[in-house]
Amino acid sequence: MNRSSHQNTYQFLRYILIFLILGVLVVYLGSRKNFGPLQYAQLSLDGLRGGAIYALIAMGFVIVFNVTGIINFAQGAFVTLGAMFTVTFYNLNSPLPKGLHLLLSVIAAILVTTCIGVLVERLTIHPARKSSSLTLIIITVGVFITIQGLSLLAWGAEAHVFPSFTTLEMSDRVYRWLGIVIKAQSFWIWGTMLLVLVCIAYFFNFTLLGRAMRACAVNRLGARLVGISPGRMSLASFGIAAAVGAIGGIVVAPIVRPSYDMGLSLGLKGFVAAIMGGLVSTPGAVLGGLLLGFLENVAAGVTKAGLKDIFAFILLILTLLFRPQGLLGVRKTAIETDGAH
Amino acid sequence: MSVESGLNSKRNAIGWLVMAVVIALLGWVETVQPMGVDFADLTNGIVTMDTMVRVAILTIVLVGLNLLMGYAGQVSLGHAALYGLGAYATSILCVRSGDLLGVPAWVLSSWWWPWLVMIIGMAFAGALAYLVGRPILRLQGHYLAMATLGLGIMIYILFRENLGFQGQHITGTFDGIPGIPRLRVGNFEIWPISRYYFFAWIAALGAIAFGLNVINSRTGRALRAIHDSEVAAQAMGVDVASYKVRIFAVSAILASAAGSIYAHFQTTVSPAPFSFVGSLELVVMAAVGGLSSIWGAPFGVAVILIIKEILRSRLRVVFSGASGEHEVIFYGILLVLIMIFMPEGVTVGAVRRWRLWQRRKREQALSPAQPQAGVRT
Amino acid sequence: MSRKIYHLVAFLTIAALIVAACAQATPVATDAPSPTDTQALPPTQPPAQTEAPPTPTEAPPEPTPTEEIIGETYKIGFAPAITGPGASLGAPEHETGQMLAEQLNAQGGVVGPDGVRHPVEILIFDTETNPDVAVSVVRRMIEEENVQVVVAGTTTGISLAIVPIATEALVPYISMASSGAIVKDPDTGVVREWVFKTAQDNYASAQWQALYLTAQGYTQVCHLSENSGYGADTLAQAKRAFEPAGIQIVYEDSFERTGTEFPQVASVQTSGCQAVVVGAIPPASSNISIALRDALPDLPIVHGHGTCNQDHIDLMGAEVAEGMVSPCGKVMVSDTLPDDDPQKDVLVQYVTDYTAFTDKPVNTFGGHGWDALMLAVTAVASLPDGLDLEAQRAAVRDFLETGVKDWPGISGVYNLSPEDHFSLGFDSLTFVKVENGAWVFFPEDQW
Repeated sequence: MNRSSHQNTYQFLRYILIFLILGVLVVYLGSRKNFGPLQYAQLSLDGLRGGAIYALIAMGFVIVFNVTGIINFAQGAFVTLGAMFTVTFYNLNSPLPKGLHLLLSVIAAILVTTCIGVLVERLTIHPARKSSSLTLIIITVGVFITIQGLSLLAWGAEAHVFPSFTTLEMSDRVYRWLGIVIKAQSFWIWGTMLLVLVCIAYFFNFTLLGRAMRACAVNRLGARLVGISPGRMSLASFGIAAAVGAIGGIVVAPIVRPSYDMGLSLGLKGFVAAIMGGLVSTPGAVLGGLLLGFLENVAAGVTKAGLKDIFAFILLILTLLFRPQGLLGVRKTAIETDGAH
Repeated sequence: MSVESGLNSKRNAIGWLVMAVVIALLGWVETVQPMGVDFADLTNGIVTMDTMVRVAILTIVLVGLNLLMGYAGQVSLGHAALYGLGAYATSILCVRSGDLLGVPAWVLSSWWWPWLVMIIGMAFAGALAYLVGRPILRLQGHYLAMATLGLGIMIYILFRENLGFQGQHITGTFDGIPGIPRLRVGNFEIWPISRYYFFAWIAALGAIAFGLNVINSRTGRALRAIHDSEVAAQAMGVDVASYKVRIFAVSAILASAAGSIYAHFQTTVSPAPFSFVGSLELVVMAAVGGLSSIWGAPFGVAVILIIKEILRSRLRVVFSGASGEHEVIFYGILLVLIMIFMPEGVTVGAVRRWRLWQRRKREQALSPAQPQAGVRT
Repeated sequence: MSRKIYHLVAFLTIAALIVAACAQATPVATDAPSPTDTQALPPTQPPAQTEAPPTPTEAPPEPTPTEEIIGETYKIGFAPAITGPGASLGAPEHETGQMLAEQLNAQGGVVGPDGVRHPVEILIFDTETNPDVAVSVVRRMIEEENVQVVVAGTTTGISLAIVPIATEALVPYISMASSGAIVKDPDTGVVREWVFKTAQDNYASAQWQALYLTAQGYTQVCHLSENSGYGADTLAQAKRAFEPAGIQIVYEDSFERTGTEFPQVASVQTSGCQAVVVGAIPPASSNISIALRDALPDLPIVHGHGTCNQDHIDLMGAEVAEGMVSPCGKVMVSDTLPDDDPQKDVLVQYVTDYTAFTDKPVNTFGGHGWDALMLAVTAVASLPDGLDLEAQRAAVRDFLETGVKDWPGISGVYNLSPEDHFSLGFDSLTFVKVENGAWVFFPEDQW
């Protein structure tokens, strides 16, 4: 009707206005540092790269949350495990050519991490499936602590060497174009993110298991009534989240030099990205991640970069205050959220 | 169903008195040291006075958190930052306010200044929580948890980055602020540790009594109504928003008081304990203790801290060569096990199991001669 | 109910297996050559290898024919940060402590000035990089374990928290962290009686950097520090050292240790500085260096002494690291030192022992731990038999203040005195450069 379309355009204009104001602010702050368009472009691209990593981790959160209603604090641990297992497998002596060896290590690491995710679900979530969500969150915290402790024991406290995918060495190939610097690994990250997004979308929309999981997400009781086992769906969701988390860790490892505690801060940022995207769908998670990475990096670049973390959480608070359903979520009324989950 | 609804105030009062007597007794052992036995010898060196003081301090924080999470149902993942506010208020105003704010030296060295600072910190935390609480507490469920998470981390980063200013003169960045004076009343110094133990536990018992009072009052009933269903409570005329904000402010005040007591105990305040991990520890303690009862606060803290002390002092005896990494692994596993087998927390879980066991004993006594075949336990 | 039991059993079995496996994983030293130690430790014979504190499997053949008196066991409380954000600094300290504990067991402890042999036990605790835990642990060491000396504090924040505890309990405390405020109150300038420390000061490091920058003719630099206590201190000390040398810091900022993007680089580009000074430890130092090199391949980068590890180079790749300079403790270039250098023997021995014990390259932080522990061991070896605990602690403190002269350690040559509980300054560091993937000595005449 007339009124709602007015409201929609009004909202749309409001966002455009906010965007413009922010843009002006950014340009003003940047001019004080003598930034030219080159710097802005660089900051944006780097931010999108960071955002892609957050997106991969956020997807894991969203999958688990949608199907089981649990916020899985152990997601960061899967990221660490993916990277660290790849390092271990890659360091094994093998006669294979390096590229193939790396590929096999990656696949093996993803498989192992998925198994660990499944094991975690069976051993810790499944026995407590009837408990409150707070209990389940604490259980995932305990799992995270345990896995981090095991990682410290297995791989030590130091950072490890992880070759970049393009050159299979520590130093990566760098592309320079009009003064902007892009590392080859960035393309791997963006490509992987898109690939995972497409695969997940295909899985959820066109496979039986995926659709069953979606059914579980929409209405757990209804899904049971038609014969879908929520326990199995929970298992599958953890497995997939572990795999996606592992992939995120692997693809970022050449940039960050994996160590046993890389999962904590990455997991937290990925979580923030998931909230910004609305915790409802994987495309939302990706959008949330990219937006978070982009805004955070640009804001940190034009002000004091040491406060980069603060910007991420300011964004989180602003999102929660003004658009708690996230970018793609649907606003629930008080009655709908009351007593749910 | 919460345990509390089954208990009346008399039970709570008796429990509180018992606790007070036990605490006093333990303190007496440490001060008088009968037959050369000091407090730590009671547990063969596992639990020390230091542990007991920390239990007392964290109990104060947890009472507030319990009221907020258990009764009002509002999850807070940033409470360590409020605890830190009290600690930093004490340390900045007691140590640095001479340079920063021009507080005269005779005030700084007086005995009543730290107490005044404690109250200032509590007021500040309460006011901040009230201001911030209004918009935040409109959010539901996990959105609220995320908002408190974000706020907690932001406050922590401000501690760590010297409130955004250059230099180290306000919060001391990572290294923090050393040299916080001990508390005194007139000329009586509340130190050595056995005296501080009494002081901290008086405060903790006071907090527990306060919490019990709130539960059994009109406010407590309103909070429980809000927890069960906000919409229904609002329909019944409960001013949901106002109560939520008030209890959030109360929990902030308690946390700040605990932070000040902690600062005078530790004499050095640095940002590390107030990060997201610290907030998570508090929530873990609350969940392990049990959210449906104020008694969950002291027992949750005690269980977690004692587990850590046992691991720290005895793990190397059981597994030779075990060290910090192993302690962490065991701690994580124990945490998971506790939450699987006692999801309602240790206090309620223990009480429930005890009652179950008693009932089973009674049943067995009543029917001893039943054939076992075909009977499933 | 049975399912829950099943789960419990499964869980406990897995847990036990993991722990059992890991308990075996604590390094079992192969036949490492016995250390020719400094000062009061007696010469030893090839040790009977053991794993953790217990007795040697065979009676060590004593050179002295008469029966030796075995005195009480001396205890050194050792608390590095084994877990938590400081674990990358604490782990090498921890391993050094384990290595020393084994060596001490193998040689039966120390012999006091009166000929009485005392076994020495190094009790290892974890501070979890948390000052609360550190205080609890140190209190435990002092009151329950009755240690003669405390060695703890991987980071400055933790050390500062321990200082009042040790001072009150009258126990000598040796810290392994870098800030001078640990041993000397910054406001009053009074030296803290019971506190000593071993890590080189960031100020000394900054002085070397200033020297190098002036020699190269740079007057406008950028300073990037990691967001940790160490990083913040490097910035503070750089400001102290650069100003009198006429070097201006045109852009300063901090960066995340675990960050993936570095927006600071954009500001470095536009600030027009001639060189970048970085205050970080690996992996953060490697990450920021790569980001800087990608954007500004020709900008000189000067690091601080926290990067003196092989990791720093390996994590970047030798090409990127080529040409980076830094002040460093001599431990990284021990084999290229001249033979008359007073530290050379100690350094070479430590490098050999450490690499044999851990299969990892040597690390400056491990060196700080070694210095602190060896100072403690030397001090307890000077104790006459028969003192009570209070007197022992006071005697250790006195020894540290008066008996440590021209003492070669890993981080430098120590000359402690009542006015100086630290003594490592400008001369404890040297300047090094990365060449072909390794650190080499970079003397002033080549700058």
